[in-house]
Amino acid sequence: MRNILTVIKREYIQIVRTKGFIIGTILGPVLMAAFIVVPILIQFVSVDKQEKIGVVDLSREVFVELDKKLDQELKDGGRRYILQEFTIKDNLDQLLEELNKKVLDKELTAYIHIPENISEGGVAEYVSEHVSDFDKQGNIGQALSSIIIEKRLKGEGLDPEKIGQYMRPVRLDTKKVTTRGVERDIGGTFMISFVLVLILYMTVIFYGQIILRGVIEEKSSRVVEIVLSSLKPFQLMAGKILGIAAVGFTQYAIWALFGIAASKYSGNVVSRFFPAAADIPMPTIPAYLFVYFIIFFILGYFLYGTMYAGIGSMVNNEKEAQQLVMPVTMFLIIPIMLMTFVIRSPDSSVSVILSLIPFFAPILMLLRISVLLPPFSQIAASIVFTILTTILMIWVSAKIYRVGILMYGKRPGFAEIIKWMRYG
Amino acid sequence: MNALLIENITKRFGDFYAVRNLSLKVPEGSIYSLLGPNGAGKTTTIRMVMNIIIPDEGSIQVLNEKMNNRMQSRVGYLPEDRGLYPKMKVGELLLFLSALKGVQKLEARNRIDAWLNRFDLASWKQKKVEELSRGMQQKIQFIATVIHQPDLIILDEPFSGLDPVNTKLFKDIMLEMKNQGRTIIFSTHRMEQVEMISDNICLINKAEMVLEGNLTQIKKQYGKNTVVLDYDGDASFIQSLPEVEKIDDYGKFMEIKLREQSDPQDLLDKAVGKIRINKFEVREPTLNAIFIEKVGETNEKYTNGH
Repeated sequence: MRNILTVIKREYIQIVRTKGFIIGTILGPVLMAAFIVVPILIQFVSVDKQEKIGVVDLSREVFVELDKKLDQELKDGGRRYILQEFTIKDNLDQLLEELNKKVLDKELTAYIHIPENISEGGVAEYVSEHVSDFDKQGNIGQALSSIIIEKRLKGEGLDPEKIGQYMRPVRLDTKKVTTRGVERDIGGTFMISFVLVLILYMTVIFYGQIILRGVIEEKSSRVVEIVLSSLKPFQLMAGKILGIAAVGFTQYAIWALFGIAASKYSGNVVSRFFPAAADIPMPTIPAYLFVYFIIFFILGYFLYGTMYAGIGSMVNNEKEAQQLVMPVTMFLIIPIMLMTFVIRSPDSSVSVILSLIPFFAPILMLLRISVLLPPFSQIAASIVFTILTTILMIWVSAKIYRVGILMYGKRPGFAEIIKWMRYG
Repeated sequence: MNALLIENITKRFGDFYAVRNLSLKVPEGSIYSLLGPNGAGKTTTIRMVMNIIIPDEGSIQVLNEKMNNRMQSRVGYLPEDRGLYPKMKVGELLLFLSALKGVQKLEARNRIDAWLNRFDLASWKQKKVEELSRGMQQKIQFIATVIHQPDLIILDEPFSGLDPVNTKLFKDIMLEMKNQGRTIIFSTHRMEQVEMISDNICLINKAEMVLEGNLTQIKKQYGKNTVVLDYDGDASFIQSLPEVEKIDDYGKFMEIKLREQSDPQDLLDKAVGKIRINKFEVREPTLNAIFIEKVGETNEKYTNGH
């Protein structure tokens, strides 16, 4: 035991001290935050700019209304869109040519070309250098539609306001029923399931690779025999896997602290800049989901970690390892590909069976728990199956490891590995 | 008392015998060398002693006990495949390896400093292992082998890759350890090293032991039928003299095995005047000659047998 602790300590200190770990641990949440915050910021920031838009109104009945409708304001209270009407002097083509030039010269951000038959289904055109500002195009499109619809309704002698009320869509509120009652859900759970499962998947692969690389380094640097003169191969393997697990937990703990801090203060920060955002309820992770996440991370880590350790002991370098690692990694990728299916029908018999298969359980059972809490018997069964498989894998990997770690030269074939396992 | 007692061990890898029915005894407080050509089974034997691989048959007793984990801290081992964690600092690495052997931290620090000073490596303590030269790394490995003051020290090819200065340093430390009552087992090809410091030897060839025992006695067995000749000139005529059974000619130096009953004096008489003789010595055969003869014999037996 003392020896395992010594190995754990070495693994832990050596990895935690690397630049890679420090950068990854800090950069992880920063990147995560950036992914969420930057798009929002960009949207709000880039929009706050006055834009000049030309209008060629061939129907001669839209411009005034459009000018009234597009009354979005900037933060300083000025108009966001300044509309300018252009009329035909000689012919349409020449005018459009002129306007194209104005857009390219940045005199106008864009121009709108409204055909004569706009009320009868004619197609309006929006011409600009950049056509990916969906927010702006949406504003203009909506304004045009409502103007034309009103015109049509009035033409038929109908009151647009009343029609508007008649046409009001029905609101569909999604709620989630659980054993603790009914909760409002606006898709937050869905997002959380997705994010949790992806975090589990990525960290298991990431730490599995660290174990793999560690074993290969020990083997290729030939330090392993000195170490093995003091302890058993199993102790070395166990110490390595546990030490790297400790690194994983450290990283999770740091991220969790970031997360708690972020959810505490981000509300204030966000609402200061964008008052509207304060109304959106922050999705919360239920405590039981968090506990299961930890359990399944541990299970997944040890199941896959021991397999990676076994593979590492069979090969001479990382290049050789990649071929053998492929099938193992496939076991992790398959459940990720099955995610959407399981989310849509979490309690179908196929989903139940898939989530009980030990290699898939860490990802798929966690996913099912987050979408629709399955009966406890199923959760317990998947945990027990995974633990049993992990024990089997530890036994197999330890046998392979014990022989493989001292074998150099040609990568062993399947038959040879079976033979290794029989060595006393 | 034996520091190591091996009885009839055999190790197979598939159909290949790495070690076959090997027995040997290492008396406590002696220096014992394992000799043999490449692939003879020396490293496999040592690994079985270290409990890194398990023999298929036979038993091994280390310091009068079956090898177990507690035992491992009384044994120091320098493997043939040498390596260290390349990214660790020298001081840290030695501390880690001492901790595995159960040396207290404070005590380990003192011993590490003392050894680094002795090997002139004190200024490298905070450097990463990968920055060290091969020779320096070998010294670090040697320190790791003896840092826990083991009763039994097993060195697999300790002198390979060392320059003469460091070879002497290692040899001096080995003798020092012997004088402290420790037992040293080492494997090598370098016969002159063996002759100078070994008390006992074991010669292994093709997985089997061909010769074991006290070095002085073994030499005596072979008798004083060898002449060592240091000369200048053309000595090719010696080979055809009736007294000569076999020669090993190095150009300026010749080891001559005489036929039984022949007198070395006759040989000297015939050589005088034909070549310039700087030295003429009648002695036991060198270990080198015994080695070559024994290995040759067993190889012949194998080729004839198949």
